[in-house]
Amino acid sequence: MHIKGKTWVFGRNVNTDLIFPKVWFRPTYEPGEMASHLMVGIDEDFPRKVGRGDVIVGGQNFGCGSSREEAAAAMKEAGVAAVVAPSFGRLFTRNAINVGLPVVTSLRIDEEIQQGDEIEIDLAGGTIRNLRSGYEARLPPMASESLNLIEDGGIANYTRRVLEQRRRVQV
Amino acid sequence: MHAISKIIARHADRKGVEVGEIVNVVPDYVMLNDRGAARAADLLRQMGGDKVFNPSQVVVVFDHHYPPIRQQDSVSQKKTRAWIELQGISKFHAGEGIGHVIFPEKGYAFPGALIFGTDSHTVTNSALGCVATGMGHSDIASYLALGYNWLKVPEVIRFDLHGDFRPRVYAKDIALRIAQLYGEDAAPYLGVEFAGPLVARMPMSERLVLCNMVIDFGAKTGYIQPDEITERWVTQRAPDRKWIAETTDSDKDYGRIVDLNVSEIEPLVAIPHDLSTVRAAADLGDVRIDEAIFGTCTGGRIDDFRVAAAIMKGRKLAPHTRMMINPGSRETYLQAMHEGLIDIMVEAGATIGVPGCGPCSGCHQGMLAPGENAITNASRNFKGRFGSPEASAYVASSATVAASAIAGRIVSPAGVNVH
Repeated sequence: MHIKGKTWVFGRNVNTDLIFPKVWFRPTYEPGEMASHLMVGIDEDFPRKVGRGDVIVGGQNFGCGSSREEAAAAMKEAGVAAVVAPSFGRLFTRNAINVGLPVVTSLRIDEEIQQGDEIEIDLAGGTIRNLRSGYEARLPPMASESLNLIEDGGIANYTRRVLEQRRRVQV
Repeated sequence: MHAISKIIARHADRKGVEVGEIVNVVPDYVMLNDRGAARAADLLRQMGGDKVFNPSQVVVVFDHHYPPIRQQDSVSQKKTRAWIELQGISKFHAGEGIGHVIFPEKGYAFPGALIFGTDSHTVTNSALGCVATGMGHSDIASYLALGYNWLKVPEVIRFDLHGDFRPRVYAKDIALRIAQLYGEDAAPYLGVEFAGPLVARMPMSERLVLCNMVIDFGAKTGYIQPDEITERWVTQRAPDRKWIAETTDSDKDYGRIVDLNVSEIEPLVAIPHDLSTVRAAADLGDVRIDEAIFGTCTGGRIDDFRVAAAIMKGRKLAPHTRMMINPGSRETYLQAMHEGLIDIMVEAGATIGVPGCGPCSGCHQGMLAPGENAITNASRNFKGRFGSPEASAYVASSATVAASAIAGRIVSPAGVNVH
């Protein structure tokens, strides 16, 4: 999986209350609705600024706090190609994998990227590169189970497939 | 192997597992709150599932938006009630309190269990010596469809607590001290075990506070080795429950062991807007308090009411301060009434709300206006958590919240005399 995109840089301990504030919770969402609230706890104009294929770069412990799938789902819906940080909140990582959003851990990466830099990520090859500065780093290997889920397009596709297999066995 | 690994192995139908390994597990119980049930039911349909695989493992709790205050929530709760009936889900609790308070109360949490929930504070249950972790809505929908989900076996860090509590210092202050020393990412993806002589003497209510807060250090689950206190708790609440307390083989099964001398800890406060910026309550100077928010899955248990009512007895809230109280559960509410604690707090000027998440859900009574300050015994002081993003929230123990509500500014509860 190859990703190349323009970056948006955020700080340390960005919690999911900031990524998707609770005031926008709804029992069901219209298409595009989650994306229209992405990151508004930090920057109200962000949903208008972010473009398809862009990459979000966070600081340490990005996505900490509540178990809020909307945080990752809103990024996926906005067309964010990947989210990169030195470390992530556990639930955010899980939710990102489940919605099929590549979640890339790379030590000190927040110090190596300035807002607007174009970066390139090779998930299978395990590299990240800042095309402006030439900075390059190896990525820690991702569990193959997680990589498969992302490449599958998320846990919904996986579940659909297993359910179909079960139905076929029953017939 | 650590007890956490053994619990995961048993639920994966395996003899053993390695730290870092990803395995498919079948949990004992899965909690869906009102938001989680609505979203997961929708996502289950989108995944092509029409039946919940094992409805007897599913517990639905309405706590975040109950009773509904927006029409969209009443419509959604009506749909969820129809859905759980259709699916044959009989474990349903509406208005009975917060999932993480009623799970241990009703015996859904027990030693050796594996519990999932659609909420980050599901970790609270791990105080009973089980593995309990939060998941997203798609995760839970997939579990509902298939009857299992994946889990990565975590490395475990152990905090050995020794020393003694100073006056009016509680488990909450220990949690804030850990956040202060080690940060909000003290334990990313890790299991966090609490042990040591102080934990052995700690009542279950305080153990639940410690484990509730591990998510706010980034952890996957907490853990406390079951002992007589655990056994008494479970036997009283679920006498028929069969359970297995796993044990950890050796100190080599820990990634790290940290010693913490509790005698050094004084009443603490996490100041806006993150949990790791912590000060002594006594040193905060003059922070005016507009609202005290009391309750939640961190501070809404009977012992919290006992501590607060002792401080508030015969006193009134400061004229400029309001206090919003939401009991953590119906059981807590009833007990607090029987003991006269609700009388004391209402006479002091507090407002009692519905058992449930209260303002910590972000849309119930008690929202803050721009520029206002709140002190709360909840677990989080994130920007916008309790209403306006221009408001400020301070996180402290139940005692510090009660004392500050009376004083109208943040004070240490240590010097407050009890009548």
